[in-house]
Amino acid sequence: MTNSMSNTEFVTNLVESKFKVLSTEVLDKYQVSFEVKKEDVHSLLSLLKTSGWIQLSYLSAVDWPNDNEFELVYIVFNWDKAVHIQIRCRLDRETASMNSILPIFPGCKYYEREAHEFFGIKFPGNPDHEKQLILEEWDDIPPLRKDFDPRAYSDRKFSKMEYKNDFVNKNGEVSKQDARTKRYDDIDKLRTGGKK
Amino acid sequence: MLSTKFSPMSKEEVDRKWWEIGDFFRRNSLWMLMYCTGCCAIELPPAMTSAYDMERLGMGPMATPRQADVLLVTGYLSLKTLRRLIYTYEQMSEPKYIVGFGSCTINGGIYHDSHAVINQLNKYIPVDVFVAGCMPNTEAVMNGFVDLMDLIKNKKANGWKDYHERYEWYLANQKAALGEVRVHDEFHE
Repeated sequence: MTNSMSNTEFVTNLVESKFKVLSTEVLDKYQVSFEVKKEDVHSLLSLLKTSGWIQLSYLSAVDWPNDNEFELVYIVFNWDKAVHIQIRCRLDRETASMNSILPIFPGCKYYEREAHEFFGIKFPGNPDHEKQLILEEWDDIPPLRKDFDPRAYSDRKFSKMEYKNDFVNKNGEVSKQDARTKRYDDIDKLRTGGKK
Repeated sequence: MLSTKFSPMSKEEVDRKWWEIGDFFRRNSLWMLMYCTGCCAIELPPAMTSAYDMERLGMGPMATPRQADVLLVTGYLSLKTLRRLIYTYEQMSEPKYIVGFGSCTINGGIYHDSHAVINQLNKYIPVDVFVAGCMPNTEAVMNGFVDLMDLIKNKKANGWKDYHERYEWYLANQKAALGEVRVHDEFHE
């Protein structure tokens, strides 16, 4: 470091001086998160790439069903300054679409395919974004959306082991489960004054 | 002229004898193909190395499916891996056996409600021996291999015959879960 600023301060100044940042969060000494508007993401990523954040570490999405929005998270990484920068932006959930960052970070190709597969976000500009990657022949809504029910899907699609009670109680004792159920029923009856 | 010492054997009997001889050698030199899909695969290194020394049972690792006798499915199978596993299994030369490891291959284990993972392996391919546990002990794994040898000896390891006889049933199950068994991806086309 040439001056007294910490890495996170340097990043915050760099980004906030040139872009309208909706919210900034310094997570710790090594991580900063910026939320920007959807339109600013490409120019901000270009700026960061020329400033040394040359590697796209991760790209993923977060589903916010209550806000009816997806949040895209781009994490970029610098090999000289130990700061990970997260760029976040919100997309509309119904028409989720974001221009690809393929010209800036070619490594985003597979992350965008993954995000399309698991969240259904379209990435125009990435020629492969609709190809299947991990899920093959998927026949339901994208599985990492919060309104997808994995258990219902699993029950419908995959056969389950069937268990039957093939044991006998040789002592003739009342089973503890039955006794407990009866006791709870009795308590409920008392609560209602003995009426059913 | 017929010998008085040896009564002539019918073709079935001769076949049976040859199979018994074959099974003797086969069960004492099992080449295994390890399809290490899940965490149970971590039980194989101690079973193979000096701690439990699988080679004293005559078992050894094999590189390709076409040369292997036993397919070890170690753990959960996602739909994507199940497709490749069916390819692998059908490539193996007969007789072929499958050992399923862990509770994931039996009833889904802790992944029973996952959208990506099948629950019962023996609906899709015939499994001869299951080793229960999450994960199974190495002792249990070794015991499973010995059980497989006993099954071969007693002519009960008939999963591969079952796959021929009830292929329609297996195929229907595979299609119900996978849609299509054929692999379509950019590396195959």
